[in-house]
Amino acid sequence: MMTNALSLFKTEIRHFFLISLLNLVFAAIAIAIGVQYMVTAILAQAPDPFIPGFLVIPGLRVFTGAVALICFGLGISWILTTVRIFEGIVTIKDDLDNDGDTIADERLTCLIVRMLAHYRDNRRTIRTMILVCTLGGICFFVLGIANSLKVLTLSSGGFAFTLDNLLLIPAMLLTLSISLASLLSSYYFSRFADVWERRLREIGDSECALKQKLGLEEA
Amino acid sequence: MSGRRTVYEIYWEILIYCKSPRSFTSIINRCDLNSKNAQEYLEFLTGKGYISLVTDGEKSGYQSTPAAGEYIELFSSLYQKLFDKTPGFRL
Repeated sequence: MMTNALSLFKTEIRHFFLISLLNLVFAAIAIAIGVQYMVTAILAQAPDPFIPGFLVIPGLRVFTGAVALICFGLGISWILTTVRIFEGIVTIKDDLDNDGDTIADERLTCLIVRMLAHYRDNRRTIRTMILVCTLGGICFFVLGIANSLKVLTLSSGGFAFTLDNLLLIPAMLLTLSISLASLLSSYYFSRFADVWERRLREIGDSECALKQKLGLEEA
Repeated sequence: MSGRRTVYEIYWEILIYCKSPRSFTSIINRCDLNSKNAQEYLEFLTGKGYISLVTDGEKSGYQSTPAAGEYIELFSSLYQKLFDKTPGFRL
């Protein structure tokens, strides 16, 4: 049983570590891109004089700047929440790696207890991170589209827009990858959270046996 | 070990740590407990016969008794059982 438990525990911790690391990297990129888009939005406030005939939406750049500001804020929130979780996981993973494959039964139980305590401590943070990742993904997607719009006109008959091709491709690629990374993180974190919640429930159920063993409850 | 733990996890941790005689201070430090709580836990475990106070010359310390083995074994098996099943999604 122990070998199976050990290999499963190791795999889970390694994957959780990788997802946390991926989160850190993308949160840093999200902050950088948020700042970059904000600067771009501020510098490009004036209407483009080279495109006559189109009514430049006055609030488009302001809107882009506002979304960029939200993305920047979400990026900071994203990185702060990830760091808290990442630190705990790194210590558990390091201990697990240092012990190697010949890990004692008690040591493995100790690491499982530590992981459970870490999850209990960061339960709310993980829930927040799931939300922040999802919101971040959506915001970056909107930002990518809004920033690649050069001109947008609305009339009673419909709407017309002009896209800046040079901005579109890199911006869309970047925002798409960040959106994808944040949505994937959100998905995996929520799956991990579900699994750990189930384990906490299982522990709650098995506490009866421990109570009986300690003589706290009649059999 | 720090963090939010259940009372059963704290009992287990004390029992594991006290496999060799340990002073009250070292138990407090290792198990991240305050002295009041540590005293209560140790009194409970002593009362149940899972821990005994041993003296070696001038030194005295707490040590787990053979009776604690059953609790430790049950605890380990229950916690390792959590990893019997795969998480239910592809990693």
